[in-house]
Amino acid sequence: MQFLDLTIRELHNELVKKTVTPLDLVKEAILRAKADNNNAFEYIMEKEAVEMALKLKEPEVDNLFWGIPFAIKDNFSTKDIVTTASSNILAGYVPVFDATVVKKLLDAKAIPIAKTTLDELAMGGSGTTGHLGTTFNPYDKQHEHLIGGSSCGSASSVAASVVPFALGSDTGDSVRKPASYAGLVGFKPTWGRISRLGLFPFATSLDHVGYFTRSVYDAAHLLNLLAGRDVEDATSSDIPVDDYAKLLNTDIKGVKIAIIKEIVDSIYDKSINAAFQKTIASLKIRGAKVEYVSIDRKLLGALFPTYVVISCAEATSNNANLDGIKFGPYQAGKTYEEVMSKARTKGFSELIKRRFVIGSFCLMRENQDVLFLRAQKVRRMIVDKVNDIFKDYDAIFLPASPTPAPKLGEASDRLSDEYLIADNHMVIGNFGGFPSITLPLGFKGKLPFGGNLTAKPFNEAKLLQIANVIEDITGFYNLSVRTAKL
Amino acid sequence: MKEINKQVLKDAAKRLLFDMSEEEYDTLLKEFDVITKQMDLIGQIEGIDDHEPMTFPFPCETAYLREDIPAKPLSKEDALKNAKNKTAGQIKLPKVVG
Repeated sequence: MQFLDLTIRELHNELVKKTVTPLDLVKEAILRAKADNNNAFEYIMEKEAVEMALKLKEPEVDNLFWGIPFAIKDNFSTKDIVTTASSNILAGYVPVFDATVVKKLLDAKAIPIAKTTLDELAMGGSGTTGHLGTTFNPYDKQHEHLIGGSSCGSASSVAASVVPFALGSDTGDSVRKPASYAGLVGFKPTWGRISRLGLFPFATSLDHVGYFTRSVYDAAHLLNLLAGRDVEDATSSDIPVDDYAKLLNTDIKGVKIAIIKEIVDSIYDKSINAAFQKTIASLKIRGAKVEYVSIDRKLLGALFPTYVVISCAEATSNNANLDGIKFGPYQAGKTYEEVMSKARTKGFSELIKRRFVIGSFCLMRENQDVLFLRAQKVRRMIVDKVNDIFKDYDAIFLPASPTPAPKLGEASDRLSDEYLIADNHMVIGNFGGFPSITLPLGFKGKLPFGGNLTAKPFNEAKLLQIANVIEDITGFYNLSVRTAKL
Repeated sequence: MKEINKQVLKDAAKRLLFDMSEEEYDTLLKEFDVITKQMDLIGQIEGIDDHEPMTFPFPCETAYLREDIPAKPLSKEDALKNAKNKTAGQIKLPKVVG
């Protein structure tokens, strides 16, 4: 085992003991990033990372992130580092400030080593639509299965142990789904718990900062660092931040966990169902009360279309600033409309244009009431129902996906319960802004799959505590392609 | 709901200031077959109009005045850094008037 196969906490201990230096770690990470054949990186920050590592001399015992290499999804602003959100419309764009989360990590002396690939503008769930092409799943050497998106490069780099953690963003399930397909801990805290300043907006009412780690403990510690009010982000919360890592323990006696029956009933994969039931049995043995609850199947069937309408509509206005004038490739024209139109026609891929047209269609005067406003009403009905569940339960536990990573190009029935409900239920976490975490549950052959826990807003401490117990039950601590016993 | 045809989609794209090829509009029109069926699922929910639209996950009020701390705004150099077409310290665009 080499150093980068360790978790953040383990690496910190080695740094404090001086068995390894930040420069050693950065060099190892750059070496692994350069050898990557999964198309995980937009830009490898070799020069910048080495310069930062050279400045770090004396380890900071109380600072877990001192000298730890990490990766950043390429839709976070990084000062003086090219940032494209994997879209040609932003080719060559160099931000003039750091996103708040990036700044917090730099202030803690963590070292960014790369910007990672994503589905173009974070508007996709497959990891196949970025301008550099498909990002692959490190668990599949033949490159036949996808890794999921949109935070595909961040997931791939943590699963391949290039870095022990990476930043992502989650609007529908863009951290938590790839975490399931890549055997990782993927966490998005409550909407407003982490500042979004510097995260390129996709759908403002649904966007969350999230991240990938290889242990629940690391996820808790990262939240300690990243959570909190940011005066530059009016949607960030001033609710006090807990010491999430300190609150972790393995006692869940009396904890009440709900399982949504209709979602589990829509999952037909035997391996996933068996691992899920086994975990429930273990949770019960440890003293948790696990019970099935119901949500109207029709309401669940509307999850995905509701998401499509709201996210595409919000995206059309959020991306109106991408015009090739202030940034991005300029296209000459006779009028400013022609300049913008040429830049946008050339800069956006077909898929993105289609999503924008769907959004624009939903916002047309004749359609607003029946599509956009109704989607927002359904959103409230779903969130009210889930909040009712949280009156009696501490968390909801479900399989994160109905299958392990699907094959690239595999078509699914877009009107089936398996697709509409089981494959898209995690969007509930975005509708209600609920804290939600995916963590590994098992393997089917060589491919991992995950479970997902969701709690009421700002109840991250309880959520992470239950996740910690599940990690203890499954034994999938620090899982990566380099440590997995396949 | 407005009837969906190629012209409606072209109109939507035009509003968004981009264009697509005829083949791309055909693909999108086909995609709308499924999307429309999915969107119909929203309309099938009973009591939907008894609920208020939800625009954000939960109420999130910022009701205070920030301290009046002087800070440097974005410099002209930084503001223009990413613009490709500029002149005399300003972004250059085709003439709008006259």
